Amino acid sequence: MNGYAGNILSINLSTRSITTIPTKKYEQWVGGHGMGSALFFDMVKDKTIDGFHPENVITLMSSPLCGTLVPSGAARTEVQGIGVQSLPIGWFTRSNFGGRFSSMLKYAGWDGIAIQGQADSRVWIDIRNDDVKIRECDDLNLWGTDTWECQKAIWKDVSGEGAYGDWIKINEKGDMTTQRPAVLAIGPAGENLSRMACLIHDAGNGAGQGGFGAVFGKKGLKAISVIGTGSIQVKDPKGLMTSRLWLKKKYSFSLKNLKINDFTFGFQSPPVPMTLYSGGKPRIGQRPQACVGCTAGCRGRYEDGIGNEAICFNSLFYLFGKTLLIQRQAADLLNRYGLNAAEMFVGELYLKKLRDLGFIGKEKAIDCPLDFNQYGELSFAEQLVKAISYRNDGKGNPHPFGDILAEGFVRAAEKWGRLQGEDSDLKTGLLKFPHWGLPMHKLERSQLDWGYGTILSDRDINEHCFDLLRAFPTYFKRSGQRLPPAEDIAQVITDKMEPFQGDKKMLDFSTENMYSEHIIKLVTWHRHYTRFWKQSAQLCDFRWPDFLNLYGPNKTGATGIAEQRFFNDVTGKGFTFLDGINLGKKIWNLDNAIWVLQGRHRDMVRFADYIYTNPGKTSSGYPQYMPGIKNGKWDYVVTSGRHFDQDRFEDFKTRFYRFQGWDEKTGCPTRKTLESLALEHVADELEKNEKIQIL
Amino acid sequence: MKPKVREKKELSRRKFLKCTGTIVFAMGSSGYLLSGCGVKEEELGIAVSDGYLVVDVEKCQGCISCMLACSLVHEGTQSISLSRIQILQDSFGKFPDDLTIEQCRQCEAPACVEACPEDALTANAKFGNVRMVDKEKCTGCGSCFVACPFTPARLSVMEDSAFNNELKSLKCDLCANTPHHWDEKGGGPDGLQACVEVCPVGAIAFTGKLPAQEGNSGYKVNLRDKNWAKLGYRNS
Repeated sequence: MNGYAGNILSINLSTRSITTIPTKKYEQWVGGHGMGSALFFDMVKDKTIDGFHPENVITLMSSPLCGTLVPSGAARTEVQGIGVQSLPIGWFTRSNFGGRFSSMLKYAGWDGIAIQGQADSRVWIDIRNDDVKIRECDDLNLWGTDTWECQKAIWKDVSGEGAYGDWIKINEKGDMTTQRPAVLAIGPAGENLSRMACLIHDAGNGAGQGGFGAVFGKKGLKAISVIGTGSIQVKDPKGLMTSRLWLKKKYSFSLKNLKINDFTFGFQSPPVPMTLYSGGKPRIGQRPQACVGCTAGCRGRYEDGIGNEAICFNSLFYLFGKTLLIQRQAADLLNRYGLNAAEMFVGELYLKKLRDLGFIGKEKAIDCPLDFNQYGELSFAEQLVKAISYRNDGKGNPHPFGDILAEGFVRAAEKWGRLQGEDSDLKTGLLKFPHWGLPMHKLERSQLDWGYGTILSDRDINEHCFDLLRAFPTYFKRSGQRLPPAEDIAQVITDKMEPFQGDKKMLDFSTENMYSEHIIKLVTWHRHYTRFWKQSAQLCDFRWPDFLNLYGPNKTGATGIAEQRFFNDVTGKGFTFLDGINLGKKIWNLDNAIWVLQGRHRDMVRFADYIYTNPGKTSSGYPQYMPGIKNGKWDYVVTSGRHFDQDRFEDFKTRFYRFQGWDEKTGCPTRKTLESLALEHVADELEKNEKIQIL
Repeated sequence: MKPKVREKKELSRRKFLKCTGTIVFAMGSSGYLLSGCGVKEEELGIAVSDGYLVVDVEKCQGCISCMLACSLVHEGTQSISLSRIQILQDSFGKFPDDLTIEQCRQCEAPACVEACPEDALTANAKFGNVRMVDKEKCTGCGSCFVACPFTPARLSVMEDSAFNNELKSLKCDLCANTPHHWDEKGGGPDGLQACVEVCPVGAIAFTGKLPAQEGNSGYKVNLRDKNWAKLGYRNS
């Protein structure tokens, strides 16, 4: 099994059993998300349980590419299980983080970990190659530590005091490494079961979505540490090295021939090493820091050690922090206490609006202990983070504010009575949580792939595949730079979108086309591509897909050529690009079946009310532009300022379900479709639970 | 393969005593101290290498692609323990001390070569006098590992599947002996080194010039140019 370690680690914390599942049993799913969904399906008999139920399974999966030389595709870990963050219920969901955890897991001999049960004491898992132990937190005083303190304590325990920097023995057999263990930990937010709690690895790799930090906390699991000294077999070593250098030469940034746009906020391709905070790039000594095997680090480490490895929402969280230093310190707070940066970012702005409107504060309608006089100072951010993490006033005193807010901003708004009647904050749009009780990311009424993809799945998809189609036209229009013809761009990209290649109108984001069959195909392709190539093979979202490339021939990227080339170099499976898309389709169907078994019906698949009434506006006030057809001609058209029409969206859903081969009335995958994907056992389960009609 | 070595502590003490004696001798004879344990070149009769790796620890982004390329071309597998170049990182540390690159220095006076009791570790004239291990002769005794005066040791002793999992010394050979080399001409001082070629930011370079042996300045250098500065990182 080239690319695989060979075994999956299965740990039941209730019984404290440690067993092994041969990876071969799940090899048809390749790895990552596909393997995690299949494991979950088999291990969790009752899919209707709550995320906090002991029988909930959390899977942490690598892929055959993890720990190899595959560029920007060797470092992700896919996290799955029933989450506790979303509404109306915690969906079976996914998160993902980078760094070096999955590679280290494979070097230790494991393709993934499945964790079930609930410990009767607070524990951590210590993996040193094939030596796996469930250890007590008390031994190292881990419970109560923040995520960084926890990791350092475990480093010290595994590496031995003073030994780091040299070759160290990791076990009694004498297996040697120079590396520190890769540790995934929860902070106080997870310990205290905040639904916004995340998992943190190293300084800033976070699995933010789903509230898996709280699930760990409920299971009594503080951390998982892994260190490995083994090897991963590769089918074609020469081929892999050749492919890596091919991508470097043809499709990667070159310092000798630097081609960068001034605009580095979007996901340009190829990416260049970058770091970013809302206040700009810190002007102090720093390096770009990359995950294992990556070609372009996307976060920094700094000479003052503040803000290390913070990225995306994490680095933008405290938007109104008065100084860049405060913003960086605030980013560290999220990582240390283990809180989901996306929800904290959008939620913190909601609190500010409530305060500006006079609804929140001391002795206001919402009794809030936060000192808004300190807004912009670090002390405000710290009090907010601590209030949520410890469910108190943020200064160590009992207070319902933190306890309520720890449940998430939508649940808190409900508790505060702000979701009642026509003035509901989800009707006015004051509370920008447009889907599944989760925070807004991209303007869903503008970036249709993002909006539809999110509401038709389970979470903010956070997949930037087509984000460049918004980022560059929008910025270039503002700055007066010349754009390439929109039709040419649509042609280059859609040519790569097997099996729908060549349908340019998939990228017509005009209002006239926003409910069309072409957009259905766009959303479908996106679901299938990401389910396999990004979330199962685990190519990084920052680098892949590579549609347009400043260095590529005719500025065409490597997608459609590169993915399967690297995959086959490692595995020898002989996959085509379309094989991956088709497996993504199968995984997408399995996920949807699981959601139906959890209780999903098409009637639940709807945006928050304000999405159907309020025009989508950008925070900057400037319009967004995307490719589209205007008066019969391709151009870059304004896509912000519009809203979804509820009836037309419902019709879109009907046609979307039909296109998937699902029941239009319920949104449930049909037996016929599932059997065509060799998912008969899934159809049987749906039938047993009366979700599909018995023929 | 699993990396295993003998206890370093005992042998280190022997090595220390041996080196101490050499230093005293060298100072007394007005000879200059070479790197490693201070052994004079003329005593060893070892020709200098035609090639060296130099690195820029401030430029490195910590992706460890060099480590993965190293194990890939040498062993055909992906392993960080089998890599001849080692990147050590502290995610919570302060730049530039949060990361270091530790590569074999192909020392002018290589203590590892001197220490090998089997003459398995030599300056290989066929490959530009790179200090190389002859695995047929190597017994995996670990003397070279212990003799290396640097931390971490720039070589290791691992089980080798090509030799029935017997312990063998692993050491940077500038890719001279790489069964899985991608280029027809291969590696070595006259060829291509995997770590140099694969590094996305050019933080590793090959040089034919003997670096200064004292301290680290000869091996840890500045490879940052004006384009690096354009990306927002300092180049001085």
